[in-house]
Amino acid sequence: MSEILTLRIYETIGGNLAVASEDGQKVFGLLMKALQDGRDVQLSFVNIDTLTSAFLNAAIGQLYGTFKEEFIRQHLSVADIAQDDLALLKRVVDGAKAYFKDPKRAEQARREESGKGEDDDE
Amino acid sequence: MKIHLQDIRSNFEGFCRLVSFGKLIDTALWEDIDIDMSAVNWIDANMCAPLGALVHKATQEGNAVTINNIISGVQSILSKNGFLAHYGYSRLFDSWGSTIQYKRFETKDDHYFADYISRELAGKNIPTMTPALYKKFQESLFEIFSNAVIHSQTTLGIFSCGQYFHRKKRLDFSVADLGLGMRGIVKDRLNLDLTPEDAIIWSLSGNNTTKRGSVPGGLGLKLLQEFIRKNKGRIQIASDKGYWELINGDSNTQVLPHPFPGTVVNIEINTADTHSYCLACEIRPDEIF
Repeated sequence: MSEILTLRIYETIGGNLAVASEDGQKVFGLLMKALQDGRDVQLSFVNIDTLTSAFLNAAIGQLYGTFKEEFIRQHLSVADIAQDDLALLKRVVDGAKAYFKDPKRAEQARREESGKGEDDDE
Repeated sequence: MKIHLQDIRSNFEGFCRLVSFGKLIDTALWEDIDIDMSAVNWIDANMCAPLGALVHKATQEGNAVTINNIISGVQSILSKNGFLAHYGYSRLFDSWGSTIQYKRFETKDDHYFADYISRELAGKNIPTMTPALYKKFQESLFEIFSNAVIHSQTTLGIFSCGQYFHRKKRLDFSVADLGLGMRGIVKDRLNLDLTPEDAIIWSLSGNNTTKRGSVPGGLGLKLLQEFIRKNKGRIQIASDKGYWELINGDSNTQVLPHPFPGTVVNIEINTADTHSYCLACEIRPDEIF
């Protein structure tokens, strides 16, 4: 079994406010790389004071455009997160699952991930 | 061109006056615009955000804007929050710590906005706000700003301003953008032709989102609405000719006489609210994904 890799959001974004979509994108980039390399990842929210849905959608929500729910469940976990932030994350995840139920969006996400995408509105 | 401004409060009438002012300056090109404030006895300071947005738009059309004949009380507030500094007036020190400075941001300025919010709120004397409420309030401001960044497509900036009312235990904050507006975004992204007020309702409802591409969205304004309902605060949204308000848990819409060229989101929070906002619920980390 591979060792679990801990990614600390605080370290990745360089601060305690996880609010900008752009910062979420940085976290997403690392998560993608690690998961694609077959690593099990624990995402740590230690020292994070404030979170937004925009950040979480970029960091975690868009994983559902690339990976299946089962895969994410098996290989990604969260730690050091406050209860109310956990509730927010749950809503973001549920929203992302619903968002990518639309096959057009899922296809578009796959295209973007492979570098052929266009039309992203970020 | 001389324009006489009237009182502007955070209500439907205030927005009507604001968009009427916007209509007057909308066609001006290379003009001297003299905004006469001799009839203004009160401006809700947070409304400097949409007012500043309209004036900024006019300056980007090559107009030279001056603001004159300001009654001293109004001048004092608008000098303390930095609004008048944009028009040649000196700043005044805010000894009461009740203003949240007027600022203009670019859409790439998420980090500046975050610093601004931390700095502005840290220096305020808001004794009644619990840590949980403070956190929810901060999150709400970031959600509003992110919403403007992600959706508005503005090239003219995002404007914000706020005011804390010590006695009323209320904190008002406004974010205005000069983007497509909710109706324009829904039309542009989804080819859905809604009235401006229906476009606001649509944006606040269910799982609706205009997001396309790889990053999901559509949660920010819903979270804001849930928070403000629980907090017994107030939200006002003006976009195009649509006006939507949530107050005392009830929402209503009205039609403005002229369009606002973008979107304004005003929130008022009840700082004496003692709700925990900690959804101490059954969610476990291993049940998230």
